[in-house]
Amino acid sequence: MTGRARARARGRPPALGTALPAVGAATAQETVPSQLPGHQQPQKGRTPPPVAEEPASRGRQRQTQNVLQGQKERKPEGLQISAGFQELSLVDRGGRRRDFHDLGVNTRQTIEHVQESKTGTSGSVIKLVANYFRVMSRPQWALYQYHVDYNPEMEARRLRSALLFQHEKLIGKTHAFDGSILFLPRKLENKVTEVFSKTRNGENVKITITLTNELPPSSPTCLQFYNIIFRRILKMLNLQQIGRNYYNPKDPITIPNHRLIVWPGFASSILQYEENIMLCVDISYKVLRSETVLDFMYSLYYQVEEQRFRDACVKELIGLIVLTKYNNKTYRIDDIDWDGNPQRTFRKADGSEISFVDYYKRQYNQEITDLNQPVLVSQPKRRATGLQGPVILIPELCFLTGLTEKMRNDFNMMKDLSVHTRLPPEQRQREIGRLRDYIQNDENVQKELQDWGLNFDSNLLSFPGRVVQGEKIFQSGNVFDYNPQFADWSKETRGAPLICPKALDNWLLMYTRRNYDVANTLVQNLFKVTPSMGIKMRKATMIEVDDRTEAYLRALQQSITPDTNIVVCVLSSSRKDKYDAIKKYLCTDCPIPSQCVLARTLSKPQTAMAVATKIALQMNCKMGGELWTVEIPLKQVMIVGIDCYHDTLAGKQSIAGFVASMNQTMTRWFSRCAVQTRGQELVDGLKACLQTALREWFKWNKCLPSRVIVYRDGVGDGQLSTLVSYEVPQFLDCLKSVGKDYNPRLTVIVVKKRLNTRFFARYGEALKNPPPGTVVDVEVTRPEWYDFFIVSQAVRNGCVSPTHYNVIYDTSKLKPDHIQRLTYKLCHMYYNWPGVIRVPAPCQYAHKLAFLIGQSIHKEPNLLLSDRLYYL
Amino acid sequence: MDKNFQEEQSKEMIKFTPPLSKQRYQFIKDLVEKYRPKKVADLGCADCKLLWMLKFCSCIEVLVGLDISASVMKEKMHILSPLPVDYLEPTERSLTVTLYHGSVAHKDPCMIGFDLVTCIELIEHLEESELKKFPEVVFGFMAPSIVVISTPNVEFNTLLPGVTLFRHPDHKFEWNRAQFQSWALETARRYDYSVEFTGVGHSPRGMENIGFCTQIGVFVRKYPQTGGFAVSEKSRETVYKTVFKAVYPSLKDDKYLQNTLVGEVIFTAQIIKQSLLNHLMSECEECNNSTTERKVQLQPCFSKYMRRLAVEKSMESFVKGNVVYIPLKTVFSFPKVNQLCGTFEKFCKLIAGKVTLSSDGYALMLNTEHEDE
Repeated sequence: MTGRARARARGRPPALGTALPAVGAATAQETVPSQLPGHQQPQKGRTPPPVAEEPASRGRQRQTQNVLQGQKERKPEGLQISAGFQELSLVDRGGRRRDFHDLGVNTRQTIEHVQESKTGTSGSVIKLVANYFRVMSRPQWALYQYHVDYNPEMEARRLRSALLFQHEKLIGKTHAFDGSILFLPRKLENKVTEVFSKTRNGENVKITITLTNELPPSSPTCLQFYNIIFRRILKMLNLQQIGRNYYNPKDPITIPNHRLIVWPGFASSILQYEENIMLCVDISYKVLRSETVLDFMYSLYYQVEEQRFRDACVKELIGLIVLTKYNNKTYRIDDIDWDGNPQRTFRKADGSEISFVDYYKRQYNQEITDLNQPVLVSQPKRRATGLQGPVILIPELCFLTGLTEKMRNDFNMMKDLSVHTRLPPEQRQREIGRLRDYIQNDENVQKELQDWGLNFDSNLLSFPGRVVQGEKIFQSGNVFDYNPQFADWSKETRGAPLICPKALDNWLLMYTRRNYDVANTLVQNLFKVTPSMGIKMRKATMIEVDDRTEAYLRALQQSITPDTNIVVCVLSSSRKDKYDAIKKYLCTDCPIPSQCVLARTLSKPQTAMAVATKIALQMNCKMGGELWTVEIPLKQVMIVGIDCYHDTLAGKQSIAGFVASMNQTMTRWFSRCAVQTRGQELVDGLKACLQTALREWFKWNKCLPSRVIVYRDGVGDGQLSTLVSYEVPQFLDCLKSVGKDYNPRLTVIVVKKRLNTRFFARYGEALKNPPPGTVVDVEVTRPEWYDFFIVSQAVRNGCVSPTHYNVIYDTSKLKPDHIQRLTYKLCHMYYNWPGVIRVPAPCQYAHKLAFLIGQSIHKEPNLLLSDRLYYL
Repeated sequence: MDKNFQEEQSKEMIKFTPPLSKQRYQFIKDLVEKYRPKKVADLGCADCKLLWMLKFCSCIEVLVGLDISASVMKEKMHILSPLPVDYLEPTERSLTVTLYHGSVAHKDPCMIGFDLVTCIELIEHLEESELKKFPEVVFGFMAPSIVVISTPNVEFNTLLPGVTLFRHPDHKFEWNRAQFQSWALETARRYDYSVEFTGVGHSPRGMENIGFCTQIGVFVRKYPQTGGFAVSEKSRETVYKTVFKAVYPSLKDDKYLQNTLVGEVIFTAQIIKQSLLNHLMSECEECNNSTTERKVQLQPCFSKYMRRLAVEKSMESFVKGNVVYIPLKTVFSFPKVNQLCGTFEKFCKLIAGKVTLSSDGYALMLNTEHEDE
């Protein structure tokens, strides 16, 4: 396994109370850098995920917007102007056009059976606190929207505002104006006001200010407005904006060993939630590096051979986010132009040519010392910025941010980092409270808020949640209970026979000469652990190979027979190319399950047995075996899991992993993947996946499923409307195309792991992590959605992250309680982890599949493997 | 705030490249490069654009903006906040940027002791009463070494299309060259300054007699700064209201110095440790004469460095058990570390308590346990 898997694994606390150390538990993980589910990862410092391509029309789809619940009597106000409002001058950074909060996607109204209530009922009540503050506005508060007209017409926006604000007495000091739309916290005396201003030419201009809307606090425009005001406030508090969040640079955490500087900060947003408009605040950490891209290139140059240098740079740097020295903008490195250098010239806005060296010297007093460095290329994401073409950056003037793959692999570093960034619940709550204190203690901020008539509740939101009953684990006639606090049953089920063991009759074990001993020990240990599982095992065909990729491949070609069950490779290093080559060959050309394991993982005597156990289980799954199950009362249901992998390196193709359950007990999964090429929609591929899955289901069950439930992961912020208006209809289309009389019930649930929402359980005075099985479907959910949160996993360090489930389409007529319970049950079914994980197993399987394809195989694997969990 | 777009408006006929507003700012920037003032104030700073340009000038340590309109300043004032880089790489120079809300007709002690005061397109916005007080406030009270005043040259207006009276409705007057110069000369005489006239925005060929579009007077104080005067004035009450204040991180601040130093020390020590361990490992691998895979990387510069250091025995780093000992003298001898703290005593004082030292306080201790590698 690679360092990353190891780092992740080691970063995880040991399985509590069991003899199985965490090392062992995870070491049997594949060599794929795997994301262990169910446990919080140190993801604070990560850069935002790359965003998938989307149809250009998306941003405008809010036209379909509907009025929020609870204000049905009101006119659908403010919709027509929202586009104009986005241009508002006070939107910082030229305005983010993306609707990160998926405002205005109203899916609940289409789901009949949750119109009255979308809440579940089962479980015991628990007192929860969430990281939300209520936004309080004056009674009868409204935002007044005016349209401003000029006669004669004035073009320049600056001129327009200058002319308008000659009448500050009339308008007041508190205002927001984008050139044509004016927002005021108070109503002007007349509906239409005419004033006259004079231009510098002495020309008289008639300005007509017409009231167009009175926006109630919950209108979408108002919400956008709150967020703009709030960002103003964060700036007033001298917090630095990086990406979407704000950070406090004054008291950084420094980790000098790795030249890392971590800024604590806040991720925040104001939205309309179930009952109230609230401010959600979470602690965010920004990892910065006191190292420029040029420094990084230099040190890389010493580490690799000359001819590999460029490739190494590309590999390490592309996709990273850099922060420039002369402004506080961040850019993503999309390319490195090796032919460019800082002496090249570019054309300034006024048409004159200037070299980069001179420009930065003159404009920012920034000295560029290395005149031969290449330049970085960043493609602007938004076309609307007016910037034509890519942005050229000078490595010497760019600081690296975030962590590279290599750093994530560095266990020690991640440990150092997590000490600072993983806050236990009470500490996290205290840190969140800090923002409230900043706001309350700053005179200017208080004044700004008062001017607009807004304020924030001083207490975090508290409300009751529910903890649903733990599941029983069924394993071949045995029933196990697990300690719900740890959400882990590795101890309970050890030594119990599996539901479906697969015999190891004919299997290959490949190793290099140096690793002969560990390979041999592995076989011995497998002989010890497999009998109790019910796995019949014969001696492996031992094949010694040279430690070269070609040697492995040649040996595979020569030794694999039609009867081979599985191939086990003991690798001597975590070199990715070797792993990729083996996986590629065995997933495409010669479809045989394979298990790679690092020699180093096997070499520690104290964990050897635990590793062997884990490997045996994993191999069994890969050959089509089954481990355990939970009770699934729903019949004739096919569960589908989808997740995406966005390949930022090679051609930027996206891969969707698709898995579908094949049996009642959810122990067997069919899988396919959709590789999206340029200009093609991912959903076309998904449609084909669903079609084959249905065919396969028919083969297994001699009928078609009466229900299909899709768990869709990998949906970026702001992509929801695309999903609703494009992907769901395609699924329906696909089901319809199966047959005239076939009309299954479809449920589509969007799964989201990356959230700012946090829950704390209140036990007297103490705040702790809520236990696994905690369900929240009130207060912090959105009125326009049929959504809920589940905390399914347990963490031992830091705060647990809930997972958000948004049912965007549902004709199942299943009660919310049943959907919630089913979802939680599915979190128990991931075979690579004997415990409850963060997402339903199909999502995690889909993730693993997409990751393997995206990282190593780059094309659709052989369908002969599709009925097995070969991608674990 | 509108002085920039008004120029843009007129560019159909007369086009200045770069735009006139930029030329004015560049004029100030060049002046700053020439005289290298430490304390600079911009009166009528409006959208803070000039201040923003000036904050990159490495000589300036105090930068102040004053404007009669707080809202205009507030709109863009955050461009004056420190950038992430200022925190990531604090520099030797200290810099404080402050914005005040107030009038140039009022005296406030915070404006005393400046090296350069700029009034770009300011005076023509002043009411008569304010203009009357202006020389006393700026030249008499603030009394900086240099004052720069720019104002439109009304003679040029004939070349600007559509300008009937003034270039901007808020202008209370626009002077021709003679008017400006006589005002300037009289002011200079009264407050013991010398003045030179220049401008930006050349008139088109054949019309040179019209003068610059913007006329500029550069005033230089003839007498040296008198300390006593300033002190007595300091007791005056403040009338300006602080709108914004940013103190840039600087190595002059011990907090940042210590952070930077400790960071540098630990990073340097890590490299020594790594190359020491690599060296040991390569020796041991040589005797085992195995593996072609592991490539030992001795950082070229550091290995050279260490060889030289090894000459002085007392400065040699060594491994004992699980601990690498690196003498403080060795760490101190690294250029960057040396540069940061100057003396060995200061070095020891700054790192005290921040790094693990051997019991005799002689060497830095680093653990070699490196999990899993």
